[in-house]
Amino acid sequence: MQGPLIETLVQQGVSRRTFLKYCATLASMMALPPAAGLAMAEAMAAAKRPSVIWLPFQECTGCTESITRSHSPTIEGMIFDMISLDYQETLMAAAGFQAEEARHNAMKENMGKYLLIIDGSIPLGVDGGYSCIGGRSNIDLLQEAAQGAAAIIAMGSCASYGGIPKANPNPTGAVSVSDLIKDKPIVNIPGCPPIPSVMTGVLAHYLTFGSLPELDDKGRPKAFYGETIHDRCYRRPFYDQGKFAKTFDDEGARQGWCLFELGCKGPVTYNACATVKWNGGTSWPVESGHGCLGCSEPDFWDAGSFYKPLSTPADPLKFVAAASVVGAVAGVAVSVANRAKKGAAKSAHETTTLADLEK
Amino acid sequence: MSPLETIPIHVINPLPASLADPVGLTGNAPPLLHELSESVRRLLDTGETTAIDLSALPLTPADLVWLLEKLGTGEIAVTLQANGESTLNETACPGIWWVTHHNEQGAVTSQFIEVALVPELVKAHPLDVKRGYEYLELMMSDL
Repeated sequence: MQGPLIETLVQQGVSRRTFLKYCATLASMMALPPAAGLAMAEAMAAAKRPSVIWLPFQECTGCTESITRSHSPTIEGMIFDMISLDYQETLMAAAGFQAEEARHNAMKENMGKYLLIIDGSIPLGVDGGYSCIGGRSNIDLLQEAAQGAAAIIAMGSCASYGGIPKANPNPTGAVSVSDLIKDKPIVNIPGCPPIPSVMTGVLAHYLTFGSLPELDDKGRPKAFYGETIHDRCYRRPFYDQGKFAKTFDDEGARQGWCLFELGCKGPVTYNACATVKWNGGTSWPVESGHGCLGCSEPDFWDAGSFYKPLSTPADPLKFVAAASVVGAVAGVAVSVANRAKKGAAKSAHETTTLADLEK
Repeated sequence: MSPLETIPIHVINPLPASLADPVGLTGNAPPLLHELSESVRRLLDTGETTAIDLSALPLTPADLVWLLEKLGTGEIAVTLQANGESTLNETACPGIWWVTHHNEQGAVTSQFIEVALVPELVKAHPLDVKRGYEYLELMMSDL
């Protein structure tokens, strides 16, 4: 199983053109020229599979679901054929001591060479006791596995930035991988969940060029997180023309106009959803009519309402009045605004202020 | 027959984005034609090939339909069955190819306009040709 990748693929009935097509798509996702797609195919076809150890910490397994379920079986097979996945609790058949032994063996045999993938945040509260595997805390396991790793891939927003476990009030004291490990190259692949092709792209880059891709200031691969959702959004032209959907069911929404005023976080969110899309290229949140939540940004969960526009309109009272006229507007947003309004009025008999509306 | 079975169910794969309901032209497509004419000139002068990644550009479905109509249909239409269908169609301007990759579910995974004498994917790889040659030799030795 350690021969060149293309031989394994051919044995499984995957033709070179299938692989080339896959690499062309991957290169296009990484904003590389077509020549790079070809180079990528050549290099990956000849690559030896690196050992990969995948440790799940304080997570929901959504990242694993994202990777394993979103593509057709052949492509998914390819993803796992490119690597030698030596430890992944959810996917591996082994359990208990056997599983732990597999991890130890992989770590020993590939000392200094294996890739370590982490999903989930690491809780530091009560000495790391909030999340343990085989009686050992996550932080303990991470520090042990990080020592011999060539590089670490932080999969998903939890491993990258702490994610939902870290959300206010952060009961378990959750932190990200890069908060703890300082002496290893770390790639953050945030998203809740992250786009599977982004992970494949990072692996492909590692196999092709022998190095990790170029990262931005938040540790994310620039090829995928180089531009905002907004800049690559197919609805962007409507933003430029000042055409906005005002509610989720008005004429503008039906015409596919910009969702900025419905709280879309696309302008401040760096991710590849707009180009790579989801579910095998079927669609993505904005295409299905809902604004971006900004899930690949640090602390997105605490960034205010998903339905609050990024910049508050100049005359918020007029905005709410107009909204209540059309009725079921942005349901949650209005009910929250109304509740805040009512609460404030009840308790203090004060005029509703901008701050109340933003609650 | 239970009442549930009387409900007719049709599974309809979504149309490729380029054929879905147009939501309006943005004016972003015409500049692409200028870029294409530059690319064709480069192909003629130096033999350099170009690929434009359509999913990376802010084009609406209507823009893509507009582009397809402007570029027209040429003489060659290549269909590739490799993990889903791919079409590599010559446009009315020889040297400009409209390349669409679908996955096995029929969704478009990537879409390019390629400027080349022959699209890269159509060419046979020498190692595959060698494998074919070996098969041919083997087959003939059995005759």
